Amino acid sequence: MELDQLELNATVEEAEKTKPYYTALIGWSVQAIEAAARRNLPFIVVGPADFQTYAERHDIPFVGWDFNKLNEGSDQLYKQLKEMGAELAVPLYEECVEWAGALNARFREDPKVFNRSLLLRDKGMMKRKAQISGIKVGVFEEARDKDDVERFLKRVNEALLKLEGDHLDPIHVKPLDKAGSVGHLAIYNKDDIDRIQDTDFPLLMESHLDGQEFSCEAFVHKGKVRFLNITEYVRLGHSNFVPASPSLEEKRPLIQQAVQKLVDAFEIEYGVIHPEYFITQDGTLHFGEVAARVPGGHIFELIERAYGFSAYEAQILCSDPNTTEEELLEFFPDPYDYQNYAGCLMVHPNVDYVEDLKIPEELEDHPYFEKHDMFTPPQGKVAERVGFGNHYGTIFFYGPNSEEMTDLLKAYEQYNFYV
Amino acid sequence: MPQTTGALVERFVYALDELAKAPSFAKPKYQTDVYQEANRLIEAEQGLENLYDYAHRFEETGVFQDGPWESAEKLQPPLVAGSLKAKGLPMIIEVLSELRMLAIAEGKSTNQNVSPKVAEEFLNEVMVLNLNLLFPDASESSRIEKHENDDKAEKLFQFLSSHLSSSALVQTLIDEITRLTAQRPIMIKRIVSMINMAKQMLNQESDEEDREELKQFIAAIEGPSPLSAKYKEIHAYRAQLKTITRSDLISESVALAKSMRDTGLVAPHHATLIRFLSKQNPGLLVYALSLNSKGSANLEENRELVIQLIRASIFPGTRQAIYGLAMMLERGILSHSPVAPGLRRLVELDIRPDVRNALYATTNTGEGVTANSILVAGTIQVLGQPLGVGQGFNPTCQAARGISLWAQHAPGFLLEIIPRAARDGDLDFTFEGTPIHSKGLKGGLAPELDKELDPVSLVLVPHLDKIYSEMMTRVALRGEDGHRWVNPAFYGNWVQKGFSSVFDPITGYVLDYSGFVKLFYATHHPEYNDDYELIYPNPVGIFITNVHGKLLGLHAVSITRIKKDPQGEERIYFYNPNNDGSQNWGQNIEPSVAGNGEIEGESSLPFHQFTSRLYAFHYNPYEQGDAYAVETSIVQGIRELAKDSWGKDYTWV
Repeated sequence: MELDQLELNATVEEAEKTKPYYTALIGWSVQAIEAAARRNLPFIVVGPADFQTYAERHDIPFVGWDFNKLNEGSDQLYKQLKEMGAELAVPLYEECVEWAGALNARFREDPKVFNRSLLLRDKGMMKRKAQISGIKVGVFEEARDKDDVERFLKRVNEALLKLEGDHLDPIHVKPLDKAGSVGHLAIYNKDDIDRIQDTDFPLLMESHLDGQEFSCEAFVHKGKVRFLNITEYVRLGHSNFVPASPSLEEKRPLIQQAVQKLVDAFEIEYGVIHPEYFITQDGTLHFGEVAARVPGGHIFELIERAYGFSAYEAQILCSDPNTTEEELLEFFPDPYDYQNYAGCLMVHPNVDYVEDLKIPEELEDHPYFEKHDMFTPPQGKVAERVGFGNHYGTIFFYGPNSEEMTDLLKAYEQYNFYV
Repeated sequence: MPQTTGALVERFVYALDELAKAPSFAKPKYQTDVYQEANRLIEAEQGLENLYDYAHRFEETGVFQDGPWESAEKLQPPLVAGSLKAKGLPMIIEVLSELRMLAIAEGKSTNQNVSPKVAEEFLNEVMVLNLNLLFPDASESSRIEKHENDDKAEKLFQFLSSHLSSSALVQTLIDEITRLTAQRPIMIKRIVSMINMAKQMLNQESDEEDREELKQFIAAIEGPSPLSAKYKEIHAYRAQLKTITRSDLISESVALAKSMRDTGLVAPHHATLIRFLSKQNPGLLVYALSLNSKGSANLEENRELVIQLIRASIFPGTRQAIYGLAMMLERGILSHSPVAPGLRRLVELDIRPDVRNALYATTNTGEGVTANSILVAGTIQVLGQPLGVGQGFNPTCQAARGISLWAQHAPGFLLEIIPRAARDGDLDFTFEGTPIHSKGLKGGLAPELDKELDPVSLVLVPHLDKIYSEMMTRVALRGEDGHRWVNPAFYGNWVQKGFSSVFDPITGYVLDYSGFVKLFYATHHPEYNDDYELIYPNPVGIFITNVHGKLLGLHAVSITRIKKDPQGEERIYFYNPNNDGSQNWGQNIEPSVAGNGEIEGESSLPFHQFTSRLYAFHYNPYEQGDAYAVETSIVQGIRELAKDSWGKDYTWV
């Protein structure tokens, strides 16, 4: 405590030189608030009004905001934050990205910042931009209705020289502006097309990409990737671990190059990006999509476990143009410097009605097992799932061998924890 | 290798330390891990002992922060059982909360709002309310309802009881028994099981006074006379009765009757004695029932019928009906012309198989009592103890209130609908000119009726519940509180046609509360209502609030009398069908069940306190006093009580 206070006192003089300013965290995330508090950063949280009472009770400076409401009153948020002394906005969730973009554009008086953020919110525009910049992508189109989807499925398979009666190669559809896997469907035939919700239009259609899918978390400052994490997906939306296994890690230079190319093409200057790629046996990278927010799948928590730094702190640090080179150098470790792999399994109930929770003893006794957060549920119907978001619980693992990690995650993914 | 308790403790302490370090807004994130590790310990050997070592840190580290268990002073003993039975998280936090209370009680930690004494009282109360977990019995119902968490809860209670003083526990138990018996409920199963529990807990260290007090209750159910104490086995007792002199028979009768009158509990020997006397010496029945002059006159007048009823319905298995019989005779109700034939009809009634089975289930197997006997005994009880009717664990206060009202003022009607339901499986009520048959109705408030009910309720409630719901459905869209029309139609013409409610029917806002209060005073308070007496029970709606005055829900009770109590204060005496007439309603509003002029089964409150919880009542529009005369200070006082309790959940205009 006393040491902390000493340090604090020492920085007072410096702080007087540079004007003190507030960081606005866009979206309610306890982890992000914790990170900001830990860095002794003056901050304001902008989040849904539901959190107002909680924020007040715990003395968190808070501005309630409805991110879905877009009108001439939206300018109020900027004025309000400016008044409070904010000069920086950090987006935490998909829906917050363009809000943070708009705010930062005003704070930095650079309208393009906003346009760039929009690029990250429209999957069609994103693909087009990538293609223009010479990044490898699949064939894609935007669809306004089901007829468009049917035409695209037909044309892709014509190009693949499929004959009448052959099994068609699938295409993928995803709503243009939803987070990650929300509304993502693989389309194999006409029945699949009928399953698409009308509300998911307009959507992006793309051809199927072969290869191993993985994600990166790149912490970018002044347009340069300062730290690149590679997350290996064992099964998309169910299990992943950090860092990636040696076979994928050895492609790191290639991947680092590709990510930097993406950053340059999208003119991303500050913050964190979370792109997904497919890599084929021969090392060809296909770009899937990219988001500029906290990734799902507990990836930030896994990064912290594996590399020992808080990814939330890193995000805030990299979002701030005033962060110095020295601070960055001191903050980030060498990406090859890790002891163990940190993985997690997101558990979805495989049944419609949940009655009980069963955690096998072998799991809890396994040396890689760290903890889980599942409790015996009150009996009830399982909620329909949106994207990969609402899993029932997560199991965390930590251990030295990536193959054992993969096997564990695969084995327990089949297990019925809920009966 | 399964993890040792030591390793689990280490994990728990790590999680607790992490929680301690977390800033207040981030506590929920770290609580999960604490709960997880606590759960592992609860299941482990010596887990509770180990958890308790850290219980003094639970509050300061934020284990309960921002959750329903946060404020120790707001916790309520009756809610503990529910949480312990719930799966998962509630059970874990509840266990931690009890350990926290124990730490406060033992002075290991301090809480500004909860003194060690209060914490101990809380835990004693919890124990008393969950005796079945502390002393698991092998009864059919507890076997069927065996819950997965019962083992854990049992472990917790064993642990707590090893830390709590047993004499304090016995004292709490006796208070609870006294409180419940004072209300003379028809259903006494719970009281009996408490007496048995207390008996098991008596030991060398027990207080002498407690021992004496408890002895009386134990004797009441096991044999309160010298003869019955000597011959516990009722066969032996019966054989003895044949050998003793008339004067010994009288003293035996007096002893048993005294115990019954003192406690409202009947010993099985009493049934044997009554049966014996009815055959051999009917003249002594007046001693065995300890009847007052009105009662003995009524017995004289109806001696043949009473003997017939005793033979048909009084058995050791239905012994509680002896108390009902005594009370019924003292009410003089047998002289009411429809009652005698109505009761006789039940003796030979052709009861439907489903009703028959339900009735059988009320006695223990092997007692050899017929369904008709049970039904007659139950009817005697309801007629003798109209205020002893309870709703059990069902949300059917309206039906219970109806049975109670009819037993008081319309026994002929009650004796009409009992055979209709038991024989025909149908009841029909006419509502605004249209008949409603219960037979064809679905739903009701309690489609799955809990069977812990007196025989008459068991027969009638399923039908009454559906009919009441149907009537409410038919008036649902009239834009006014449906009770206005439904209550007179359902209960009968005893209910007055004037009706007032605190709610504006369209908006649900509280409208003109002062006017509501003044009207109630002008129609009910003897000082303002031109001395009109309350003749029939008034079915009123009240807000039930918990000990902190927080609204729990709406409830139906009946005002039975309005009178000055022995201290000269105007009180409202009322019948509460929820079997527990003395719950604490907060703001120092605590209905009493004895000591303030209550008749057995009544609860009572000072006039203004009751008014502060009222939301709807009936009145006679032609018997209104002077509403304007009610002092503003009285209205203001009631308004404040209302606004600070249930009023917080409503909009006031």
